[in-house]
Amino acid sequence: MSSILVYVLHHDGEFNKSSLGAVCEAGRLAAGLGGQAAAVVVGGDDLSDDLCRSLGSYGAARVYRFRGPEGLAQPAIDAIATVMARDSHRYVLFGGGLLGFEIGAGLAARVGGGVTMEVTQVLVRDDRLVAVRPILQDSAVAEIDYVGEPGVIIARLNAFAVTSGGDGAAVVEDVELELSAWSTRTRMVRRGERRGAEIKIEDADVLVAGGRGLGNAAGFDLCSQLAKALGGGVAATRAVVDAGWYPYSAQIGQTGKTVAPKLYLAAGISGAIQHKVGMQGSEHIVAINKDPNAPIFEFSDLGIVGDLNKILPKLTAAIEDGRGGREG
Amino acid sequence: MTVAPADHLPSVKPEQEFIAPPSDPDEERIEAGVAIVGGGPAGLSCAIRLSQLIAAEPRLAELLGEVPIAVLEKGPRPGAQLLSGAMMSPSALARLLPDVDPSEWPTYGPVDRDAVYLMTSRRALRLPTPPPFRNHGNHATSVARLGRWLAARAEAEGVVILSETAATKLLVADGVVRGVRTGDRGRGREGEPLANFQAGSELIARATVLAEGSQGHLTGAALRHFGIAGDDPQRWELGVKEVWRVAQPLDRVVHTIGWPLRARARYREFGGAWIYPMGEQKVSLGFVAGLDYRDARFSVHDVLQQLKTHPLVRGILAGGERLAWGAKTIPSGGYWAMPSKLWAPGLCIAGDGAGMVNVPRLKGLHYAMHAGMFAAEAIFDALKTGSADDLSSYQQRVEESLIEDELYRARNMRQPFRKGLVLGGAIAGAMQATGGRLPGGHWRSEDDAVVDVFIGKRARDYPKPDGKLTFDKLSSVFASGNVTRDDAPNHIRVRTRVPLELALLWQNMCPAQVYEVTAASTTGRDALVDVTLTPSNCIQCGAITAKGGRLTPAEGGDGPNYQET
Repeated sequence: MSSILVYVLHHDGEFNKSSLGAVCEAGRLAAGLGGQAAAVVVGGDDLSDDLCRSLGSYGAARVYRFRGPEGLAQPAIDAIATVMARDSHRYVLFGGGLLGFEIGAGLAARVGGGVTMEVTQVLVRDDRLVAVRPILQDSAVAEIDYVGEPGVIIARLNAFAVTSGGDGAAVVEDVELELSAWSTRTRMVRRGERRGAEIKIEDADVLVAGGRGLGNAAGFDLCSQLAKALGGGVAATRAVVDAGWYPYSAQIGQTGKTVAPKLYLAAGISGAIQHKVGMQGSEHIVAINKDPNAPIFEFSDLGIVGDLNKILPKLTAAIEDGRGGREG
Repeated sequence: MTVAPADHLPSVKPEQEFIAPPSDPDEERIEAGVAIVGGGPAGLSCAIRLSQLIAAEPRLAELLGEVPIAVLEKGPRPGAQLLSGAMMSPSALARLLPDVDPSEWPTYGPVDRDAVYLMTSRRALRLPTPPPFRNHGNHATSVARLGRWLAARAEAEGVVILSETAATKLLVADGVVRGVRTGDRGRGREGEPLANFQAGSELIARATVLAEGSQGHLTGAALRHFGIAGDDPQRWELGVKEVWRVAQPLDRVVHTIGWPLRARARYREFGGAWIYPMGEQKVSLGFVAGLDYRDARFSVHDVLQQLKTHPLVRGILAGGERLAWGAKTIPSGGYWAMPSKLWAPGLCIAGDGAGMVNVPRLKGLHYAMHAGMFAAEAIFDALKTGSADDLSSYQQRVEESLIEDELYRARNMRQPFRKGLVLGGAIAGAMQATGGRLPGGHWRSEDDAVVDVFIGKRARDYPKPDGKLTFDKLSSVFASGNVTRDDAPNHIRVRTRVPLELALLWQNMCPAQVYEVTAASTTGRDALVDVTLTPSNCIQCGAITAKGGRLTPAEGGDGPNYQET
């Protein structure tokens, strides 16, 4: 029987990266509980059978599909609550993000479940799940045990890595339900990308991040060129966003976004703790800084002490050459 | 050519900008019986005392309406922006809540051992404890924790506490204070309303208490508007504090003088350190220095880092870990700088905002609490007669209390230290021994902002941060819990093109790295330079107001989020 339900968000026929991470994590946890993971998707015709089945390769045994308005909290809560009332699910997992927070909190209220937010890790202990979340501005972690079920777990954005595992296909089941009266009182007017960000940095595998060491706004061109060569996005520190060199939507850190790409290349970033908390989950961190004492070198996998203006263009050229001299 | 902050003031007109008549239509106003600005020891003691008095007078309670007592707190919750040493004299808490047993007080208990050290860079010479530093019977306290505890008490008594609410204007009509205006929320960097914009509103009250603490925003404006500032200008010291978890319990209250400060009179470095036990596992550690120092590269934050490298301090902290950090100014003008009148029609001013701090004894918490209670009693008596226009009985109560008595004895003790540590110490010692009668008279103090500054070599003494014992400023800001929105409007009024001396003064003085002089902006020794501001780092210590700028309230809820400072 299914034991963990995951809400999976999609846009333009593609699943959201943090949602996929949550599916992978749910598959792993469900195995630990001796159950199965299932997914709930809400949307229109773009939710094809094939697309839904593909969630099987990430660890979902079953996909509940509800044809309804995507991107609104209450219809999704209706759908998840309906599925939960019918089949028994002990935990519901969300990949994070503002919508995940809203749906997860609403669901917890609806079904009388316990809720934990900003979760960065989930443990299986004595046939139950224990949520781990940072507290006190990430200076400590707390383990939170659910005294009852269902338990709602809302992850920090990108807390869980996406690991595509083979070619398994999920069983797709359409869910019929009558939306609650209040769920039809809002409608989606428009969905769109936030202005200023060419690439969604939360989802990027590679990020080239620039700090004050770039010297001026024009220095970001070097970052953009390298990011383009690597097929990644550009991120920024608070200091340079404050200085107006780059838009706020690209800001990483305590008061910006939290990212966990495969590669985080920090150019001219000193590595203050306010920045570190937003990117410390990155798989590989490469830092370039002219100050050998910069704190960033303490948590980098690879550190280069030197002049950005020389290193970045060379790196860009080398990568382009390696890929067969593409334009740029 | 000398450079002093006072010659480069921004254009701020507190009486015109921060004082206004009520203007909202009646139906949009919020009404309260008594409005108290500031959820610290003074404000919360006032609220609790007032609720006790009103409870015995149902007719008055009815007159005061649905919200008889409202406390406005700019921080995310009560206590979150309180910071003090702190060794608290328990007299005020005992008077406020006589039924609560001292074992239930939110303190770390009384202390019975004191030690004062004269420091050199390697040694610590134990001195006989001078009388002001004797703390026998005083309680080690976290004022942030005390604030949380008092707020819970106040709420249980029916006091309404409005957290995340800054008071931005004092409402005055026909010479009588009518309440305050709360700050807008949800404005962008240029002041433009964002999607979550909420305009402030007018809180109309029959009496208003300003208990804003050091560098009170409305207090400063009210003192000018009503012409009730003190004989001498108010002056300030800046305290930077850390809380450490330690491996070995500290068994005594420690104060230090001397190193890392430089004793020569030309530097005018005055201050010292404290290390207090907070129970068995934690200590409070901090450094206080007067803001009349002259070397632009002097930094209290970094002097504290330097202090920690001393063998005495290193030994106390060995095997420990820094848990928290914060900073705050302390009014140190003492008796002569206190407002000439502590009230105006419809208004009382209490606590640090009224300069009720005894600098030689490092005490102010209990004065603030006593003053809050006196204000409550005066307002209660006045409201029973139907009007709070005459609150002179507040002044009387303060003058007949230990506040006046103790501050008068210490009236001249800070001023001699401009002569340097050695001579200043000798004069202050004579004053101490004679209860202030010798040498007597009125030792004038000057505004911190008129002291001229030079670019010295102070910075070469600061240790390089190692992230374990010593820290850089940004790590410290992080440890304050500050998560201010980056696109909030700038709440700090300063000139941003100033002489290099002043720019460096701010850069070094600010413990939160708000001001930076970038390499690109430094054009030459005599030319003006650009100062870059990062207001979202600000932990609202207030030092900038003493040194050529003006702090105004940030959006409610912004700033530090202290837990145990």
